[in-house]
Order: sequence, then structure tokens, then C-alpha cells
Amino acid sequence: MRPGFLRRALTTYDGQVWLFTLPFLLGSLLLVALPALVTVGIAFTQYNAIEPPRWAGLENFRRLLESPLARLSLRNSLQFVFLAVPLRLLGALGMALLLQPGGRFFAGSRAAAYLPTIIPEGAYALLWLWILNPLFGPVNLTLGWIGLPQPQWLVEPWPTQAGFVLMALFTIGEGMVVLLVGLRTIPRAYYEAARVDGAGALYTFAHITLPLIMPWLLLLTLRDLVVSLQNTFIASFVITYGGPYYATTYIPLLLYELAFDFFDFGLAAALLVVSYIVTGMLVVGIINLVGLDRQGDAA
Amino acid sequence: MPPSARRGVRIAATLLVIGVFLLPLWWMFVASLRPVGLPPPRTIAWWPVDARWENYAEIFRQVPLGRYALNSVLVVVVAVPLTLLTASLAGFGISQLRSPWRNRLLIFAIALMMVPSPAVWLFRYQLLRWLGMLTSLWSLVLPAIAAGSPLLVLLFYWTFQRNPPELYEAARVEGADAWTTWLKIAMPIARPTTAAVLVLAFALYWNDFTNPVLYLYRPSTYTLPVGLQILKQLDATNWSLLMAGAVVVTLPMVVLFLVLQPLFLSDNALSELLDKT
Repeated sequence: MRPGFLRRALTTYDGQVWLFTLPFLLGSLLLVALPALVTVGIAFTQYNAIEPPRWAGLENFRRLLESPLARLSLRNSLQFVFLAVPLRLLGALGMALLLQPGGRFFAGSRAAAYLPTIIPEGAYALLWLWILNPLFGPVNLTLGWIGLPQPQWLVEPWPTQAGFVLMALFTIGEGMVVLLVGLRTIPRAYYEAARVDGAGALYTFAHITLPLIMPWLLLLTLRDLVVSLQNTFIASFVITYGGPYYATTYIPLLLYELAFDFFDFGLAAALLVVSYIVTGMLVVGIINLVGLDRQGDAA
Repeated sequence: MPPSARRGVRIAATLLVIGVFLLPLWWMFVASLRPVGLPPPRTIAWWPVDARWENYAEIFRQVPLGRYALNSVLVVVVAVPLTLLTASLAGFGISQLRSPWRNRLLIFAIALMMVPSPAVWLFRYQLLRWLGMLTSLWSLVLPAIAAGSPLLVLLFYWTFQRNPPELYEAARVEGADAWTTWLKIAMPIARPTTAAVLVLAFALYWNDFTNPVLYLYRPSTYTLPVGLQILKQLDATNWSLLMAGAVVVTLPMVVLFLVLQPLFLSDNALSELLDKT
């Protein structure tokens, strides 16, 4: 290191600005980036956290492919993501459109709609364990009161998975706020012009609103994909612990069991690598589907 | 449809949707006041009948929730201010960097956001063991050094980057150092962002369920969400007490949110987030 380097970092504006970013940069490298990379390495070893890791080549991936439970967890996770992510996006968009007008009433409503999102996940999961109770939970009592069929939540596999998706649909506050901000970036003049031309509400939405918030929707989709995959952990840990009949054994829960119950860190890491790859393919797929060049035109 | 009728429909739809969104929380509260030991309900309780507030005292007797609450408070008191500091400094720092590096750091932060949290469990467990922080509250505070979540850094970055550069340039020319510029010029105009980050950071640590489950093994270090899980292990069918516990864990978060939300969810704040001043 050159002499005076430290002094320059402390005294010049540009140096200080670098210093400001340092805790975040070093902390993230050490606590997030490095762990994620090391995990990839561990996937090729046999490692139980006590003895030093031993090289195992592709052995873990072979065991993973042969394990019906690993395949099931992957299928459950994908099923959840394919249902929850589009519905959450639709929900967030619907809420943003509904609650965008000014005034105290709508401002208060935005806060109310955001409220389920900030409930501590442990309490939130416990709360759904209660209200989805098939016999005396408020949801089924309400359904019975209206005269609708009462699904066997948390008892039969399919209603349980549906219940998990339902849980995820109430915590869309973040997406709603992102889209509210996105909606406000659309110049009022566009809407005025459309009204002068006599365009209907549906036409305006399809030709002005939707194309202009597409970049925001894309961003949200990608983030929700990653977040939804991991958010199943607390719910499956607290509510069902993977049951009934492994219906809610999602990737994060299996990962937890492999690593912290069986101390098979190598196999857990391999499962993680597989889920990286799947997520990566979904991200690339979505970007291709929407087409980034079209985004450029819209923005 | 005339505009007034359209507004009426919108208000009705809003009331309906908000009702549905708040229903689970209301049911949690109503169930928390039900007398313990009553046979399971046959009809929906829309309102607490024969409310038993002593349920709340009972959970503190069954599980040392007071101790756990203290631990949660300790974590939040250290981690939230630290997170605000590191996130705002990093966000300001990135916004002031020159072009190639600014974009590189931005891409780094966005890439970090895409890292799934299970990816760090295994290694962080080892790291904490080496550092001697396993099963101590420091394991929950440590992420504050990295600003808790890259999202918080990006929120500050977006805020500062929208301000006209001349604002900072003037200070720089007058010889003000970056610390003063950050404290005296940047932070005061980032109030909605600071409020939003405060709520998000508080939620990050107060709500944290996974990290305590992974890294805390000594009961004296448990936090409130773990206490809730213990309450469930004691008697998973005692719904009144479980819901009382859930309310206790939830309430501080809800109060903080309701107090601060006008600063970032109101009409002015949402517009302010976009104004290119």
C-alpha cells in the first residue's frame, strides 16, 4: 500500500465516499457472497461440519437424483412458485390500481393492505395454523356459514398446498408499494390524451398503463421468484413440518433437515446448487419470454 | 358510469378488500381472548365474548417471554441503528462514486438481492462457530454490518441519486467533507426513505425467525419468535394462548409501522419518492 493512501481515503471526498461503502461491501462479501460461493464448493464434498470435508465428486448429485424426497421437494417448490408468483403479482397490481387515488381514505387503506406483510413470520404462520383448522378454524366455519364446501386444510395434501398459496397472497405489500410508485411515474398527460380521444378504461389500461409499468412488473417477478421459493420455509417449519404426506416438503425445509438434522452438509449444498440452477433457468426464461428489447422501447 | 358512481364503486371495493386483508389479524386477536379450556367453537366468533385478558399474563407464566422479549429488544436496539447507518452511508457512497465503479457496485448489490437466504445458512453457521458467536445474540446482530439487506442500501441509493448533483457539488467545492455532506445535506432530504428503511430494518430483526432457529441453542439467548415456537411445543392445541403469544410478538411491529407509515405511504411521500426536485 502506498504511503498516504490511508490519509487520502480519510481526508479526500472521493476517498471518504469509498470508505462509506466499505462496511456494506466487506460485510456482504463475508456474510452473503462468500457463503453462497463456498456452498457451491461444499456440494462436491462429503462434509458433516465436524471432520474436514472430503472430495466426493458428483456423488451428492447422484444421491440427490436417486432420492424421491429431493425430487418431490423440487416439484412441490415449483408448483408453489408457479401458482403463488403470478397470483401475488396480480394481487399487487390490483391493489395498486385500486388504492392509487389520493386522499386520506385511500392512504389509510394502503397502510391496512400493507399490514399483513409486516407481521412476524413466526406469528403469521401460527395464525394461519389456527384459522385454517379444518374443524373449527374461522375460515371453514365461515365457508360453512355461507354454505360453501369446507376443504380439509392441513389434513389432505392438495388443500394444504392451496392453503400455503393463500397465505402468500396476503403478504403483497412490498409489491403493491413498488407498483404504486411505478404507476406514479406515468405522466398524467397520457391519460388526458386518451380521454380526449374517447378511449375506455380497459383500452387505457391495456395500451398505456400496462406497457409503462411492464419494467416494474418484470423486476418484481424476478424478485418474487427468489423470495417465494425461500419464504415457504417458516410456514412449512411451523405449520406442517413438511406434511401431510410430504405435500409441503419444499426445498428450504429439506435443506434444513439435511444440514441441521442429519449434518449431511454436502448433500444439502448439492440440493441448493440444483435450486440455484432451477431459479436461474426460470429467471432467464422469464426475461426471454417478456423480451428485454421491448422493455427498452416501453421505458 | 358517472364519475361519482365510479368513485362509490371504488370505495366499496376498497372496503371489501381491506376487510378481507385485516380479517386474519382480527381473528387472531379475537381467538387470543377466548377462555382457555372451552370446547372448540362451532360458530365463528366475530367479536370477543367473555374476553379473558389474563390469557396474556398466563403465557408469560408458562414461558419466560419477558426474558425473550428483552433479548429481542437488545438485538433491535443495536442492530437497527447500525443498519440505518451502514445502509445510508453505503447508499450515499455509491451515489457519489464515479461512473464505472458506481455501476459495478450497483450490479453487485442487485446480485446480492437475488441470493436465496438458504444459500448462506450452511457457511454462516460455520463462520459463527469460528467467530465464537454461535448461540449468542451477536449472531443476529452481525448482518447489520452488511446493512441487513441490500434492498435497504438500494433504497437509499435511489433517493440520493435523484437529487441534483449540484447539490453535493457545491458542498464539495466549498471544502465540506463527505461526512458533513451526508449528515447535513443528504440525510435531511431523505426522510421518507429513512422512515421506510427504519420499518423494514426493524422488521428484519424483530420478526427474524430463521436465524434464531438456526444459530441459537441456549434458552437464555432465545428471542420472542422462538418463544412463540416453544409455546406451541408446550400445547399445540391451546389456541387462546398461542394466539395471545402471536399478538404479543406482532404488536410492537404493528405499532411502529402505524406510527411511521404516513411518512412513506401517504400521497405526498409517494410522490416525493419520484420528484426530480
